[in-house]
Amino acid sequence: MRPIRSTLVLSLLALSLIVAACGDDPTVTPTVSGPTATTGPSTSFPVTITDDDGESVTIDAPPQRIVTFAPSMTEIVFALGLGDKLVGVSGAFDDYPPEAADIEQVGGAGDFGVDPNIEQVVGLEPDLFLTIKGGDQWKRRLRDLDVPVVTLDATNLDDLMDDIEVAGQITGAEDAATATVDHLQAQADQVESAIAGTPRVSCFYETFYPPLYTVGPDTFIYDLLERAGCDPVTSSAGQQYPQWSVEDLVDQSPDVYLVSSESDAGPKAVAKRPGFEAISAVAAGRVVAIDSSLAERPGPRIVEGLQLIAEALHPEAFD
Amino acid sequence: MRRAVPYRRVILGLVAGLMAAFLLGVAVGAVWIPPIETIRLIAWKLGLTARPEDVSRATEVIVFQLRLPRVLLAAIVGGALAASGAVFQGLFRNPLADPAIIGVSSGAALGAVLVIVTVGAGSLGAFAVPLAAFVGAIATAFVVYRLARIGPAVQVATLLLAGIAIAAVISSFMSLVMSFSGEEIRDIYAWLLGGLVAQGWRSVEIVSPVVILGVAGAWLVAHELNLISLGEERAAQLGVELDRLKRTSIAVGALLAAAAVSVAGVIGFVGLMTPHLLRLVIGSDHRRLVPASVLGGAILLILADLIARTVVAPSELPVGVVTALIGGPFFIYLLRREGRKAGARV
Repeated sequence: MRPIRSTLVLSLLALSLIVAACGDDPTVTPTVSGPTATTGPSTSFPVTITDDDGESVTIDAPPQRIVTFAPSMTEIVFALGLGDKLVGVSGAFDDYPPEAADIEQVGGAGDFGVDPNIEQVVGLEPDLFLTIKGGDQWKRRLRDLDVPVVTLDATNLDDLMDDIEVAGQITGAEDAATATVDHLQAQADQVESAIAGTPRVSCFYETFYPPLYTVGPDTFIYDLLERAGCDPVTSSAGQQYPQWSVEDLVDQSPDVYLVSSESDAGPKAVAKRPGFEAISAVAAGRVVAIDSSLAERPGPRIVEGLQLIAEALHPEAFD
Repeated sequence: MRRAVPYRRVILGLVAGLMAAFLLGVAVGAVWIPPIETIRLIAWKLGLTARPEDVSRATEVIVFQLRLPRVLLAAIVGGALAASGAVFQGLFRNPLADPAIIGVSSGAALGAVLVIVTVGAGSLGAFAVPLAAFVGAIATAFVVYRLARIGPAVQVATLLLAGIAIAAVISSFMSLVMSFSGEEIRDIYAWLLGGLVAQGWRSVEIVSPVVILGVAGAWLVAHELNLISLGEERAAQLGVELDRLKRTSIAVGALLAAAAVSVAGVIGFVGLMTPHLLRLVIGSDHRRLVPASVLGGAILLILADLIARTVVAPSELPVGVVTALIGGPFFIYLLRREGRKAGARV
């Protein structure tokens, strides 16, 4: 009936907004300017940066009250050793490290329950609000209320390492940031050398079914898939998270079928779907579930996700 | 009133159109399959020839397990929605009536959403959500019917208002549930946007007997729906048992809509537009309108789904988006055109 339809229209609107927000130029990387960028390991404040939303933000002193609004940001803040400065996180998805669960949650507001509660955030008096892309409206409101909002949105592993360095610079934790990045790089290199001798395979990464959704280029997970030694059959995708034709999937018949734990389907359930038996990966029993909190959360544990994917794609290289 | 096009010609045209849409639907998709391969595969399945050896297994799966059931399901769901729309438009004597009018769509959505948030979309087997949607749809129709029944009589206007009120309540309740749900939100959106992908032949097998039953029912009430269009009093004088007719019509319309919604989610505009469109061509005799609507709805949804799965291939669009995006403006155009004609005639 009409109310349903208006809900539908609203949800479509929201989806399109999300898509629009995700579709921003992924090549923008934050830049640090001013005397702080080059002066050795310990930052001297104030620091001015241009974030991934293109906003110029000045942080006057090392933040003492940080709010994160994305599980990946929470993990980054903890990795920088600043967990005790964290006064707010987004919500139940901020589940790592376990201490994050004890921190006040500010998410759940807005028409779709995905915005931060503005009053609550302002009440926490944060001197740094770290988040990812999207939510331009509430970000504007927070900025108007003098909350220093910083958006860091990595679309690949190199980008993430830059972002962690930037997070280190604006929090005065540059040493920890460098150590984290070095560790990430070392683990990524290790995976890379492990699979160096094995031939690349074709793969598909499912994020939802039904209908079937997957990932396209310009997403973090796509970068990981390529690094882990596979060529996703969705390279022609024009969107980041497209709905995908099962026909095309059967036609391309990937060697390995990866299912995000978001999709909540085991290998058996995948094999039972109509038409799926004709996919090489399904016929060969190479359907593997991937923990999405590792593989799809662009934080310090992403290399564990990379390792998981590489093992799924090239089990022979990790015996 | 404009002179109607001869019924026989319309039906013949619709049957031809359905066959054409069906063939097009099976022939065209995200993956290009030469029509000759499809024809040879079909000839083989019909037992006419041996298996064409040069046609790959993948092609066979695409044609028989993906496209064919999907096109059939589109036809069945489209036909059911349109027949349901025809029955409700007849009963309410209002061209604005559609399968959602007595809360069937919202009831189905509520059933589906409750199952999704309480036990999860896939945990009770693939058919838990469709079943819950079906139960929700029928239950809501029944509640609306009971609300509108005062003594033995059912007021059509009350029925309409009760339907709208119940739908509004359910819709708000769903928004409430959704705003508290976490990752289930994607399952809910996916369901609400409508889709014909999920269960292949099993969906076709399960839903077609219900739809056949519903269409037969719609055909049976068609004559009395004609009489009621003269006004309830006149219909009663002509021997129509009004309360029984209303009960049966609502049951039939709800059954058809519930069957469609339960397997395909909320697909807008087909049920509203198809009977309306055909009434312009063949007039409002329901004995003609019901069969014509079944055919017309089937054609419309096959074509809408064809667009949904090819226009951005290999990506896809939700079919409900296509029916509303194309159906809406087209419907408005028709209304304007008819309005101008009526205005010119006065």
